[in-house]
Amino acid sequence: MKYLHILLSVIFSGACLFSQTVIPDWFEELPKSPPGIQYAVGYAGKYIDQSRAREAAIHQAVTSLAKQICSRLIFEIEEFSDGRFRLLNPSFQISYDNDDIITVFNNYSAIDSSITDEGYFILIAYPDVGRPGHAGNDKTWGAKPGWTIKLPRTKRYNYGVGIVANYSSWVRAWQDADEYARFDLGKNVKLDARSIHTAERDNTFIVESKIIRQSYDEEFRNTVIISRWYDKENDTYYSLCRQPRGDNR
Amino acid sequence: MKKLIVLAMLIPMAFLLMDCGGGKPPTKMDDIPDWYLNPPMAEDAIYEAGDAAKQSMGLAKEAADARARDAISRTIEVKVSNMLKNFMQESGIGEDAEALEFTSSVSKQVSNNVLNGARIVKREMKTEGSTYHAYSLAEYNLNSLIQETVDAAKKQKALYNEAKANLSFDDLEKEIQKLEAVE
Repeated sequence: MKYLHILLSVIFSGACLFSQTVIPDWFEELPKSPPGIQYAVGYAGKYIDQSRAREAAIHQAVTSLAKQICSRLIFEIEEFSDGRFRLLNPSFQISYDNDDIITVFNNYSAIDSSITDEGYFILIAYPDVGRPGHAGNDKTWGAKPGWTIKLPRTKRYNYGVGIVANYSSWVRAWQDADEYARFDLGKNVKLDARSIHTAERDNTFIVESKIIRQSYDEEFRNTVIISRWYDKENDTYYSLCRQPRGDNR
Repeated sequence: MKKLIVLAMLIPMAFLLMDCGGGKPPTKMDDIPDWYLNPPMAEDAIYEAGDAAKQSMGLAKEAADARARDAISRTIEVKVSNMLKNFMQESGIGEDAEALEFTSSVSKQVSNNVLNGARIVKREMKTEGSTYHAYSLAEYNLNSLIQETVDAAKKQKALYNEAKANLSFDDLEKEIQKLEAVE
């Protein structure tokens, strides 16, 4: 019985470590920034040394801001199927200017930060605006937002949604969900779509084959991750990316 | 002891019976989004749906999105070529004759388009055992298509004007050369 108690406690604490329950409110919904200022969120898992966690979160926030200023996204997906064999091959490449990281790093200010049981979170502003005093509150995840099912539609913005599931690390999961949201936005803006479908019929069989190839290679400016939501029941992470229309090169 | 042996035999049997259903559970019709079966219709937009079932949620989403957008692309423009082959043969004499008939047809659809603003407006993710089944609904605003056509026409006009201007410059140069030759 004693061993059972120990086992259950280990399982329970393990579940707490890998699932994300408490977050600062600005991690779920990015606050509106003053004109000319950009916000970004950084996050890091648990470290024994808190200063290391802070460093990792700042690095994440600065990189995220550099990506949101301008990033080149190269996407390609190829699907091949000939009735017997099926291959799906998506590829995602993101590149951004190293100078942007240095510029942001030299001129940012930390607006707010939070330490929870799961990790360290920081909200930064660029350019440095001192400390405007956006004090966030820690909270649990809210109800399922509408954008996880239906993409928002406005005349001013383009949107994209990133979805990932079943990650052992929540930090890695959010990083990937954020990136996929950027790529999804790109696909919604412009995409080269090519495909060949063939159907071969004889007296006995029909063999259908297809090749689908979709791609884009574009530079995007001002792509901001504005919302996140975690579906605890299905262990699924959602990120929403937004970009003002006409901000592409 | 006897009871223990019976119990030990019953437990594996129960597990075997539970597993008899086998494989992944099929999708219930109620689970399929209505917009997948009946995509919306609009005068100013094209809607097409796509789906994919994969072990990875990310791949299921990418494949469903790609298929929905491919359907949009084929709705806009597709080049279709068909080929039909008929083969007939009769061998033997009288009642012993055997006839052989073979028909084969190949249909090929090729599409190649640039989609500006083909958005995935609705998405649903279902789980079927260990696989994810993603459903995506793509929307293509026809105003984007009109704008694209206008842009293409403008580009053509610009190329035509440029060619015309070059032609005029060539004529002018010829005239100058003629004048220089006279001098």
